[in-house]
Amino acid sequence: MAQSNPPFMSGVPELLLLRLLNEQEMYGYELVRSIKQVTKEAISLGEGVIYPVLHSLERKGALKSKRKAVGGRTRVYYSLTRKGRDRLEKLRGDWSRIQGGIATALESGANA
Amino acid sequence: MREPDFNALATRLLKSGITPYHTHRTVNELRDHYDDLVDAAVDAGANSKKARRLATAELGTMDDFVVEMASRRELKTWAFRYPHLAVVIYPLACLAVLPAMPVFAGIAHRATLMRWGVSLLGAGLVTALMMLAMQLSIILG
Repeated sequence: MAQSNPPFMSGVPELLLLRLLNEQEMYGYELVRSIKQVTKEAISLGEGVIYPVLHSLERKGALKSKRKAVGGRTRVYYSLTRKGRDRLEKLRGDWSRIQGGIATALESGANA
Repeated sequence: MREPDFNALATRLLKSGITPYHTHRTVNELRDHYDDLVDAAVDAGANSKKARRLATAELGTMDDFVVEMASRRELKTWAFRYPHLAVVIYPLACLAVLPAMPVFAGIAHRATLMRWGVSLLGAGLVTALMMLAMQLSIILG
């Protein structure tokens, strides 16, 4: 929905969702709030952006979902599968490498 | 700001080739998300009208959402994923099914067919009985 982040953030929603769902199962609204919280509002995903990502990850077998009736509403809770955990580890490694590379580049740029 | 039209969103997603399963699930989740945003705004002190306005603004435009969904090939029906194949397979499937259409039509209208069948059977039986009576009257008469 609302574009809250620039294009270079591509792939970040997936990483954050997998990271949060690795701890506990959550539903969409809860996930958006948690992302704001854990990133100290540095990353604010568009409210609806997570649903295509969640459905896509579920379709790829990285997530599984189940319906639960909570407070008169039916919530769709998502949780990580083994495939999702593998995917998280891969993404985590990729991002650490990119982060390290950028940090090195910035430091060398600052020292130049 | 107008409130989100979730029915229109569902139609747009289906037209974009998103499967009915993902369309309905996404729209339901988004609707619940909107309700949660309204509840949060009410809890924060907004009146009902203002809460709905804030929730609508926070949810954003449906255009971006449709584009985001449509960009994910894995959420589309196979005909949208493989359009060239669909152009070949659909006509062939129609041709293959064509000879079986009377059977399908019969199954679909089985109650009417049953009524007609029973009526014809009854009429045949009455005719046969009348002919038998006439034959007997000729033989015995």
